[in-house]
Amino acid sequence: MSQITVETAGLRKAYRSTTALDGVDLRVGPGITGLLGPNGAGKTTLLRILATVLAPDGGTVRLLGRDPADADDRLAVRRRLGYLPQEPGLHPNFTAFEFVDYVAILKEMTDRRARHGEVRRVLELVGLGDQAKRKIKALSGGMRRRVALAQALLGEPDLLLLDEPTAGLDPEQRLRFREFVSTSPDQTVVLSTHQTEDVAALCNAVVVLDQGRVRFSGTARELSELARGRVWLAEARDPAASLSWRTGDGGHRHIGDAPADARLVEPTLEDGYLLLLGRRAADELAA
Amino acid sequence: MSDPATTWHAEPDLLDRYARGDIDHARACSLEAHLLECARCRLALAPAVDTGRLEDSWDGLVAALDAPRPGRMERLLVRLGVREHTARLLAATPTLRLSWLAGVVLALGFAVAAAHGGRGERSLLLFLLLAPLLPVAGVAASFTRGVDPTYDVALAAPMPAFHLLLIRSTAVLGTTMVVAAVAALGLPDLGWIVAAWLVPAVALTVVSLALATFQAPVTAAATVAAVWVGGVLGSEALSDGGLRAFRPGPISSAAFTAGGQLALVAVTILALLVVTSRHDRFEIERTV
Repeated sequence: MSQITVETAGLRKAYRSTTALDGVDLRVGPGITGLLGPNGAGKTTLLRILATVLAPDGGTVRLLGRDPADADDRLAVRRRLGYLPQEPGLHPNFTAFEFVDYVAILKEMTDRRARHGEVRRVLELVGLGDQAKRKIKALSGGMRRRVALAQALLGEPDLLLLDEPTAGLDPEQRLRFREFVSTSPDQTVVLSTHQTEDVAALCNAVVVLDQGRVRFSGTARELSELARGRVWLAEARDPAASLSWRTGDGGHRHIGDAPADARLVEPTLEDGYLLLLGRRAADELAA
Repeated sequence: MSDPATTWHAEPDLLDRYARGDIDHARACSLEAHLLECARCRLALAPAVDTGRLEDSWDGLVAALDAPRPGRMERLLVRLGVREHTARLLAATPTLRLSWLAGVVLALGFAVAAAHGGRGERSLLLFLLLAPLLPVAGVAASFTRGVDPTYDVALAAPMPAFHLLLIRSTAVLGTTMVVAAVAALGLPDLGWIVAAWLVPAVALTVVSLALATFQAPVTAAATVAAVWVGGVLGSEALSDGGLRAFRPGPISSAAFTAGGQLALVAVTILALLVVTSRHDRFEIERTV
């Protein structure tokens, strides 16, 4: 990575007795970085801190070369930031246009005509150009998700933070999402997900977060490579294997030591992730 | 090509000036009427028109046609002289919505009814206690995560959270006080004391904002409410000689005396100083 745009060191955050982040060191550059981890891993807390919404209990953050603990720096970061929270509320009585326009006002776009043009642009981008005048309460769940996404794209931010952006999107919308999220090479995008397909399809870099700690940081390929030589395909189920499941074509895929009568196969990103996190991650992917 | 109905054609110089927008309104109208009829002049005009300007005015037209008609609340605010983008910020305030205001009206209506059920100043006690607490609750809820659905998005945006907070607090306090003032007209006429909730309403709201720079807004509002209700009821009970049920009679709480109200004004000013000196506390969430 030539340039680091998001950097944290020893980041800690606790809510009463629960530790959400337990010393997170992160170095992220331009491009799309996937933040992968099971539920409760601390992904949302980390993104809220990176979005300058939440102050960490300890550790340091640098965003786009600035320190969000300083008020002036924080404002400078916010001017270049787009953020999709995990459960963004939308005012149900606003139309899609009004809602995105409201956020555009919060983003200091005071010139009405330029602002309206920008609102239309981002709504077109997420495929809602023809739904702009409908009230949010009349939109489907997937459409609301895209309205929320549209506001994050306002003003082509240098730093785009997306918390579970593909949740609730159908396969076609996911494809579209990939198209518009991977356009500018200078932009830093950090997206959280618990789905390995998203990371495989979208991200150049992956950070695996588990129990408030970074368990892996590298390229998507390096995550797959973790499982090289440890993924097997066999005819029968091996009761001794810790991770084993039946595939679509009737065989059994094992991760770990070789079961009887098995052949080694090419590892995927999911294999690497499962090997890293073991049982818990497998249960969650299966759910 | 030319239409047989037209007998004259526009001079190139006139078309040129029209294209530049350098022509008076009356002549432009007459030329436009002619252009609608005459294909030859339209053709002569086309090369003179600056495409940039054409696109610009077309964009303007699309923007005007496409701009959504704002909701009822926003139109009302704009008519009252509020700027268009401030109106949008206010329309997004959860405690300026009709459902919230309906609750305020209901609560005050109940207090007015209670006032007519009793005798003497004490019958006003519920109203005097309640009216100052409604803006406290409304303001706290307008910047609480979970009540404001766009809390995170608003905080991550460059507009200072304090700026948004001030706009909303002023609007919520103002609206609630207008509703309370209307409700107070329905109170039994017992002199100036029917207006004694005004100063506490402002004071408690500002104090709760000041406290919210130290703790969560809802906790701050609850603290203020507890102290207010406890203080007033306590002093009424004590003045009754022992903690017996309130008998009809005059209100004795210091908060509703002239001296008490002056003290509350002083508290308000003090709280305002705290709010302004600590306003950066609203810009980022701290949980510790």
